[in-house]
Amino acid sequence: MSDSTHRPAPVSPVEQRVAALEALLTERGLVPEGFIEQVTRRYESETGPMNGAKVVARAWLDPQYKQRLLADGTAAIAELGFGGPEGDHMVVVENTAAVHNVIVCTLCSCYPWPVLGLPPAWYKDPPYRARMVREPRALLAEMGCPLPEEAEIRVWDSSAEVRYLVLPQRPAATEDMTEAELAALVTRDSMIGVARL
Amino acid sequence: MTAPLSLSGLDLPRRNGELAFDAPWQSTVFALAAAVIEHAFGGDREPFRQQLITAIAAEPGRPYWESWTAALEALVPTLPERSTP
Repeated sequence: MSDSTHRPAPVSPVEQRVAALEALLTERGLVPEGFIEQVTRRYESETGPMNGAKVVARAWLDPQYKQRLLADGTAAIAELGFGGPEGDHMVVVENTAAVHNVIVCTLCSCYPWPVLGLPPAWYKDPPYRARMVREPRALLAEMGCPLPEEAEIRVWDSSAEVRYLVLPQRPAATEDMTEAELAALVTRDSMIGVARL
Repeated sequence: MTAPLSLSGLDLPRRNGELAFDAPWQSTVFALAAAVIEHAFGGDREPFRQQLITAIAAEPGRPYWESWTAALEALVPTLPERSTP
């Protein structure tokens, strides 16, 4: 049964349900030894927005990389060693002075894991999922990202296959920065498209 | 609530906001879905995604990881009869 682990005894109903699932799926041979710990570690500490920040910084510095990134996101992102679940069909959309891109998943929580990690809580909540499609300009302003009237907003709804990543505009006065310094400027929210740098 | 052991490091992607999981059961149920996708569906995420969409639509206000749990519970009866990794 499930008692081979050292986790504390479940207390809440949902913890009990998860423990039951773990016992059942382990018995079915679907959960190899150490698998849960391995997956948890991967998404808690090894995968996150720092990956996407490296992709963005490289694109800012290397025009040829940027060209490849916009032409085939999956392949260009794999060049930097990032890939895996939820990253099989990556499309990178570029912000300019005239066009602002933002990503959403209206039905559930699709998100580009290899470059951004797991989504923040608000991304998965009903208000964001509904309002980003219905009234993106108002919602972006509320989230601290007001856009000029003349800027076009493109909202990308992640589908079963495609995952989007926003390539933010490079901030002014960063010409002398190294790739690592540039990557440190790139925030998660700027790559979702709910912030500008 | 006890923090998972792996939260003790300093290398977590905190800079951009919250951590991925608030409690150990959330990371467990996340990983269980990954196990099912990988070992029962050969990496095809779509069956689980459809259950997640259904679970979220059924109770839009329910906490996210509880919907995730409900989705996995709904997926279990559809698993192939016998599967060995």
